[in-house]
Amino acid sequence: MKSTDAILHTRGESRYVDDLPQPEGLLHAAVFFSPIAHGRIQNFDVSRARQSEGVVAVLTAEDIPGENQIGPLIPDQELLAEEEVVYIGQPVALIVAQTAETARKAAGRIVLDVEEYPVITDPREAYQKGQIFGTPRTFQLGDVDAAWPHCEVVVEGHCEVGGQEHVYLETQRARAVPGEGRVIRVYSSTQSPYAVQKHVARVLGYPNHLIEVDVLRLGGGFGGKEDQATPWACLTALATWYTGHPVELVLTRQEDMLMTGKRHPYCSDFKIGVTREGKILAYEVRHYQNAGAAADLSPAILERTLFHSTNSYYIPNVRLFAVSCRTHLPPFTAFRGFGGPQGMFVMEAAIARVAEALGMPREEIQRKNLLQENDLFPYGQRVVDCRARRSWDVAMETYRFSAWKKRVEQFNRKHFHRKKGLAVMPICFGISFTATFLNQASALVHVYTDGSVSISTGGVEMGQGLRANITTIAARALGIRPERIKIESTNTTRIANMSPSAASATTVLNGNATLLAIRQIVSRLKSMIARELNLSDPDRVTIHDEKVWYRGSQTGWTWTQLVQTAYGKRINLSAQGFFATPGIYFDKQKEKGRPFAYHVYGTAILEVTLDCLRGIYTIDAVKIVHDLGRPLNRLIDLGQVEGGLAQGLGWMTVEELLFDEKGRNLSSALATYKPPDVYFMPDDLQVTFLENADEPIGPYGNKAVGEPPFMYGIGVFFALRQAMQAFRPRKDYEFKAPLTPERVLLELHREEVRQGCLRPATVESARQSD
Amino acid sequence: MEIPIKVTVNGEVYEHRVEPRMLLVTFLREVLGLTGTHVGCDTSSCGACTILMDGKAVKSCTLLAVQADGAELLTMEGLARNGELHPIQEGFWREHGLQCGFCTPGMIMAAYQLLEENASPDEKEIRRALEGNYCRCTGYHNIVKSVQYAAKKINR
Ligand code: FES
Ligand code: FES
Repeated sequence: MKSTDAILHTRGESRYVDDLPQPEGLLHAAVFFSPIAHGRIQNFDVSRARQSEGVVAVLTAEDIPGENQIGPLIPDQELLAEEEVVYIGQPVALIVAQTAETARKAAGRIVLDVEEYPVITDPREAYQKGQIFGTPRTFQLGDVDAAWPHCEVVVEGHCEVGGQEHVYLETQRARAVPGEGRVIRVYSSTQSPYAVQKHVARVLGYPNHLIEVDVLRLGGGFGGKEDQATPWACLTALATWYTGHPVELVLTRQEDMLMTGKRHPYCSDFKIGVTREGKILAYEVRHYQNAGAAADLSPAILERTLFHSTNSYYIPNVRLFAVSCRTHLPPFTAFRGFGGPQGMFVMEAAIARVAEALGMPREEIQRKNLLQENDLFPYGQRVVDCRARRSWDVAMETYRFSAWKKRVEQFNRKHFHRKKGLAVMPICFGISFTATFLNQASALVHVYTDGSVSISTGGVEMGQGLRANITTIAARALGIRPERIKIESTNTTRIANMSPSAASATTVLNGNATLLAIRQIVSRLKSMIARELNLSDPDRVTIHDEKVWYRGSQTGWTWTQLVQTAYGKRINLSAQGFFATPGIYFDKQKEKGRPFAYHVYGTAILEVTLDCLRGIYTIDAVKIVHDLGRPLNRLIDLGQVEGGLAQGLGWMTVEELLFDEKGRNLSSALATYKPPDVYFMPDDLQVTFLENADEPIGPYGNKAVGEPPFMYGIGVFFALRQAMQAFRPRKDYEFKAPLTPERVLLELHREEVRQGCLRPATVESARQSD
Repeated sequence: MEIPIKVTVNGEVYEHRVEPRMLLVTFLREVLGLTGTHVGCDTSSCGACTILMDGKAVKSCTLLAVQADGAELLTMEGLARNGELHPIQEGFWREHGLQCGFCTPGMIMAAYQLLEENASPDEKEIRRALEGNYCRCTGYHNIVKSVQYAAKKINR
């Protein structure tokens, strides 16, 4: 099943915010932002910008009629800075002009003098200075302190993982259009229309119902538009409120990269204790999350780091500590995996260190400690329907791991400076918003008298295939052709109080809500036809292939006939469905509960080849066994696995987000920040879905697929590390990601680098081999 | 000062007066209303804005509208003939060579040029033709398959 979206895309007819026909009098906006990471505003003069030709208005914090506040969890984020600036890229003024170019030019005429304060970019420093968001969190299981003496080997280490730029190909954008009375309609590229509605209303001092937010589709989101689409929408609405004109704001790539948050960088310390056989007895970790200058979603992301800090393993004694640290960088935000990947990385690093200490293959330790049915997660949820071992075993068998490993070892024996590395990466990812209340969704279904169907849900199409998924679900539930079904834009007047499209849960929540709505309509239709045809058992009426059946034989009625008759008989052909994930809760006081409806499992095997003299490498193969439940749309699900993997691999290898000590982003353009290109992905990419793996919550046995595959990418770090070990075994290679070619080279040749040269012997023997 | 230009876009002739600094992509999107061409970076890095100018794939964010004076342009909107998808469009649809669709026009136009010059490209040649285009959603494999699909169809 492919949605109509795909056809529109291939024709160039799909519309994004700024492709919508331009309304009369449309004005364009540009943002003036702070060039300083921390300081007090001394002198702020916008008069020259205001006088520029073509400029209609220059708006500052003073012009905000409501509350100058857009913090999603904690009210700590001003829409436009008032007295203090806290990161480079923080919006301070909005210029509204006839053209975007005029607006940007006028921004250059704004004078902003800032008395500079000290800048913190390191989360540990922030923590020491008490600069944190919320309170530190600790998850515990068993008794770690009591367990250390029983461990035969205890090792410790540090990890540092970098942030990640979303690079959604469509930059942040919004358009606000005045409606009747005080109504403002906002077209926004947001994953969270309700967040936009709420915050626009807050900023303007309006009730929510005066703000209508409409989202047709996104050119990618990946978490970057979960809450950080809000400021741009608020700014356009503010400008519309002020000028009475429609106003559009489209960030350039560089503005977007400078002004918006990204995946959080983390620093972590770990300590792990095992038996000589490699059974993990105790694990302790301290995560310092670099949250940036405002809380944004960081505390929620921190929580998921804790939830996933032991990845797919059962460890009886655990203490997991995490704290969200305030620095003077753009507020870091949601990105596929939502803090989970950072937690898992440290776990995998700890296992690598143990393996190196014991001289045991890493995968042996991984396998020995995999979760099993009825184990406990550190947050108190019991492991049910566990597929950790199953996916592991299927992967080992399907992809013939032992033979593969032998080939790699052989290669490494034969080659001197080119080395291969092989790593296994199991994943376990909990599905549900960890804020339990967000696990709700509604859908609105209309059947028209010609038999065509319109469906609105709270889910946003951002390329993940939501429209196709909802269409598939609805066509199956109604028993009609998918061509009859249209999935509408996501609109706050049709669906109220919607949760963001995030947490991989969009199809789960909105698909189930759609099913619940459709079931009401179908049941009404069945009762009606039973009455019409004098059938004793309405439950034995079915609709499929656009026809009505009774006890398995055709009644002669078609779908359209059915609908028309129902209309004539004044049967309600519309329904609203509401779904709330059952059985989930979490007690933050005790840090225990059942936060997830279920878990997604899987295992990947990754192979790399590393040129140990140049540091360059290729990812040769990634072979995955993934737990998808029952596929809903195989191609779309596969696309999610592949796309997620690409981002995960990118995060670990080539995507290097850099800030200097002044808080300047040194990777704020596509020339200095490298996302994976067309050569990046392994030639040999295989994905097998676990068979007979239906998930009861569904819909239709399906499991969420958006985020989990991202974390397979973590394996590439350890494959590279293994290749490095094959060239030069040493225990002190750093756990610092991304492992760019440059970093690999510097790590491999640390001594030579220190001495200022490579040893000629190395080069010579390299020439002789290969 | 505005400068008169005359361009043929998707077979139709347009005459307009434009600012000398207006980008070609701005001209297409805002003056002609052809929003099928996207802007992903405006610094020649992402390829979303790729179109064909006199048969060559170019990044329309890095050309001025006046540079296209007298040229023949082909954009996304001009690929389908009488409602029939071009094989390359069909390929992206069938092989699921897209997710959010934002990179798609650029990918398709870059691939179109390749297929015009070389109707049976091997995988390497396809990747080389697409090395100026970023896609953040897919892992590129389906995009390559889409082009292969089109090549097969063209050669049939
Ligand atoms: S918009 Fe032209 S290359 Fe990115
Ligand atoms: S499909 Fe989204 S960027 Fe390629």
